Amino acid sequence: MVESARLLDDREHRELDRKREMEQSYDAEKLAETMRQRYGNRRIAKQFGDSVIVPKRLLMPSVEDPSIWGVRCKEGKEREVVFSIMKRIEERRGTKDQLGITAAFERGGLESAMKGYVYVEAYRSNDVMLALDGMLNVYPRSKMVLVEIKEMPSLLHITKTETLHPGAYVRIRRPAKHAGDLAQVLDVTENGLEARVRFVPRIDYTVAEKQADGKRKRPGTYRPPQRLFNEAEARKRGSRQITGNPQTNVWQYNGEEFENGFQVKEIKIQNLQIKDVTPGLDEVTLFVTEGEDGTENLDLKALAASLRSSKSNVTYMSGDVIEVYEGEQKGVVGKAVNVQGDIVTLRVIEGELRGQTIDVPNKGLRKRFKTGDHVKVIGGSRYRDEVGMVVKIVEDRVTFLTDQTNTEVTVFSKDLREADDIGGQGSLGQYSLLDLVQLDATTVGCIVKVDHESFVVLDQNGDVRQVMPSQITNVIPKRKTAVATDRNGSEVRLDDVVREVGGQHRQGKIIHIYRSYVYLRSNSSNENAGVFVTRTSNVATVAAKGGRINAAAGPDLNAMNPSLMRNPKANGSMPPPKVFGRDKTIGQTVTIRKGGYKGLLGIVKDATDTHCRVELHTKSKIVNVPKTDLTFKDKVTGRVIDINSRGGFGGGRGGGSAGFGGRSGHGGSGGSGWDGSRTPSLPGGLAGSRTPAWGPPKSSGAYTPAWNRNPDTSGSRTPAWNSGSRTVNPYDGNRTAYGGATSYGGSTAYGGTGGSRDPAWSMGSKTPAPDSHGVGSRTPAPGNYGGSDAWGSGSKTPAYGASAPTPGASDAWGYNAGISGTSDAYGAPTPGAGLSAPTPAALNAPTPGSYPTAPTPAAISAPTPGGGWAGGWGGADSAPTPAAGAPTPGATGGYYGAPTPAAYGAPETPAAGPRYDDDD
Amino acid sequence: MSNTPNFVAPGQQRWLRACMVCSVVMTRSRFLQEGCPNCDEFLHLRGSSESVDSCTSQVFEGLIALADPQKSWVARWQRLDGYVSGVYATKVSGTLPDEVRRDMEDENRIYIPRDGSQTEAD
Repeated sequence: MVESARLLDDREHRELDRKREMEQSYDAEKLAETMRQRYGNRRIAKQFGDSVIVPKRLLMPSVEDPSIWGVRCKEGKEREVVFSIMKRIEERRGTKDQLGITAAFERGGLESAMKGYVYVEAYRSNDVMLALDGMLNVYPRSKMVLVEIKEMPSLLHITKTETLHPGAYVRIRRPAKHAGDLAQVLDVTENGLEARVRFVPRIDYTVAEKQADGKRKRPGTYRPPQRLFNEAEARKRGSRQITGNPQTNVWQYNGEEFENGFQVKEIKIQNLQIKDVTPGLDEVTLFVTEGEDGTENLDLKALAASLRSSKSNVTYMSGDVIEVYEGEQKGVVGKAVNVQGDIVTLRVIEGELRGQTIDVPNKGLRKRFKTGDHVKVIGGSRYRDEVGMVVKIVEDRVTFLTDQTNTEVTVFSKDLREADDIGGQGSLGQYSLLDLVQLDATTVGCIVKVDHESFVVLDQNGDVRQVMPSQITNVIPKRKTAVATDRNGSEVRLDDVVREVGGQHRQGKIIHIYRSYVYLRSNSSNENAGVFVTRTSNVATVAAKGGRINAAAGPDLNAMNPSLMRNPKANGSMPPPKVFGRDKTIGQTVTIRKGGYKGLLGIVKDATDTHCRVELHTKSKIVNVPKTDLTFKDKVTGRVIDINSRGGFGGGRGGGSAGFGGRSGHGGSGGSGWDGSRTPSLPGGLAGSRTPAWGPPKSSGAYTPAWNRNPDTSGSRTPAWNSGSRTVNPYDGNRTAYGGATSYGGSTAYGGTGGSRDPAWSMGSKTPAPDSHGVGSRTPAPGNYGGSDAWGSGSKTPAYGASAPTPGASDAWGYNAGISGTSDAYGAPTPGAGLSAPTPAALNAPTPGSYPTAPTPAAISAPTPGGGWAGGWGGADSAPTPAAGAPTPGATGGYYGAPTPAAYGAPETPAAGPRYDDDD
Repeated sequence: MSNTPNFVAPGQQRWLRACMVCSVVMTRSRFLQEGCPNCDEFLHLRGSSESVDSCTSQVFEGLIALADPQKSWVARWQRLDGYVSGVYATKVSGTLPDEVRRDMEDENRIYIPRDGSQTEAD
């Protein structure tokens, strides 16, 4: 267009020159003659040539000229009014009523500011009244505005319609079905009056059917959604209407033409909206053509062209450097000092006019930038809010390098302004840069770029994709507590600095943890805003925020300190014996108190000094957890137990071991071990009252109650203990125990045994309870008990006397053992222990030393088994086993029948208690 | 023909076209029958449907009912002085075919584009 305008311009100049030559060569008369010859025979256009050379500014209206009145008329009827006026002019021409008006015109139109008016040119307003009197749709009486002379030219001001170029985007006005839809110009007819456009059709494939039905389609009620043409569907519904070529993907359907799914149609320019199209990015993406290589090919040039014609006129602000590129002041460069409406006041900063202040209309202005300016995109460009440095300027197109992405972007200077901030926007709607967002059920992504209407996200698989806000389900809130473990098993949290182990060894700060993925951000890379994603198993901690202790850095010294592990109740003076044997935590039911697995229930499968490997109940997974983070729970009741305090007491251990048939030996031994070591000190160091307690310890095996804790919880124990410690009144103690042991008829029997063995025995034999215990069979056990009593009473001579029986007992044991030869499996240790003092000693590594030392210990050791037994009875599975071995199945049944744990706690204790008491 | 030749009933207005040279507005059929009242000498629209299509445009804006082309300032401003009385358009979109423009140039006629592209230049 510019080109053709220039040509025209040239032509005019040439024409002018020619004319001047002519005027010079002919004198005026000759000229007149020539003119007459040339134009004389013509009816019209006598001044044809002249009018051209008269510039418009010489045509400005003067007072001599007729005035113009604006007259209200019905909107949309302007044309009709003008024709009516024309009709009246012609009707009355040559009559006495000839109209006094010289012209009438309208400037109606949908977007015109002058709609609803017709303008009538006449010398007198009365002429206007006469001309319009009685005419339809025009109201000369209501309102008539005299147009000022200087405003008259602007009434007739016309602007050139934007010419359409192929690729440009337009909006369709008509047909109404597509009104408002975006279309892309494919081609423009030569006279520029029609355009071939393509757009996403709105096809109702069922229409063909309906028409076939003979029903008339009711127009206007239903507007099918925009969808690309689908040949298969069209065929399905009405194969007759469709013709076309599958190769080129060109179809005719119901008289419409479709190419590649788009509808192609010739539409008159006036039915297209060319200005202010402002295509949205989502609309434009409909037109994205996929290249042969599958890449998306968005014609940004066309988009830019469409946006360029946007009405959102340039807004100038004072301080902007502006260049006038059109009109009289062309070439002037100045700085805006004031902007009022369409008028920009410039202080000229370059050239001859420098220093002057001029007013210019904002049309024909453009902002001027220099290379190196830091600019920000404003206005309707899709690059809105990008900030960058200008690298190239061509006319009004400015290319700059964005700060964020380091890419070159070309926009119109009107969409730019000098930027005083850096970076650009970080958010769009509720989403902002670096947010972790849910894309679909299985995909999340981190926003690494916020565009005008879309985001670029980095999904967990490391793919970068562009999404619309509508494609985002929600933001995944940042969890401050999110924890993951890195490759070394160290805990990593948000804001920790980690490094990739493989790959590029990138290092970054954790900004998101999502399942097994971490999003890291580093400042060393610009790609994706420095964000990258990797698996937690692929990173190693470089620095943990706040200097958190790194689990891998070293063992937990607290956990290693046995004195801290021990029952704090234990006397400070007591040397912390080393703990040997199986870790007592193994097999315990625990809950995790801290960390990522917090709250989960599990069983300890293995343990080190500091850590347990816990098999989770929830999923079959074994995790490593510091012992300090575990809470030990009773397997059955789920109550919290204190495993450490138990550990402090041999009994506890015994008990602990009691829990396990096999362990009873251990436990017993352990217990005895403890006891063993302690025992010596007991007499001296501990109150006499304790001694018995100790006695019980075996019983403690008995202490099983401590055990019981496990199964039972302390409730039952306490009495047991009490009873133990209360030895003072053995009977009572027993009873107490009984009380506690209610369920243990058998234990009662024991108690009885404690009281007096015989009865106990008899009891044992007689009492069904004993039976249930298998006590009947245990008779030997009683013997044991006796023995154990002896034990318990170990210190007590009578008990010793009783000890005689001990052997018996041991026999009994032996018996048991014999019986339980099979039962070894169960309580191999126990019987062993029962059988011979040494054996237990053997069992208890530590114990031995102590054992030999005093008979008591021996006694103890003996009892240990006894205790074991007792415990066994109650608790030690081993006990039952032999018992079981002992014929009474019923007993066994009884045993088992009684909840073993309960059996443990209750029976033992009482049993133990009684014995001792008895002995006492 | 009635004595109101330039009147076009609303129903007929859809057929209106404007001459790209002089901007006179008439129905297509009238262009065909009578040619352009101002420029038929060189446009030769009469009887030529093709020429009518190429030299007149149905895209125009702003109707002017011109009663007295000599006295009217509107006519002068629109460079319609010297033309016949009738209905004109303020703006006619479309481009005259190149060969027509060449012919006009050869005949020393000035073509004033009516599409608004030149009004600001002078």
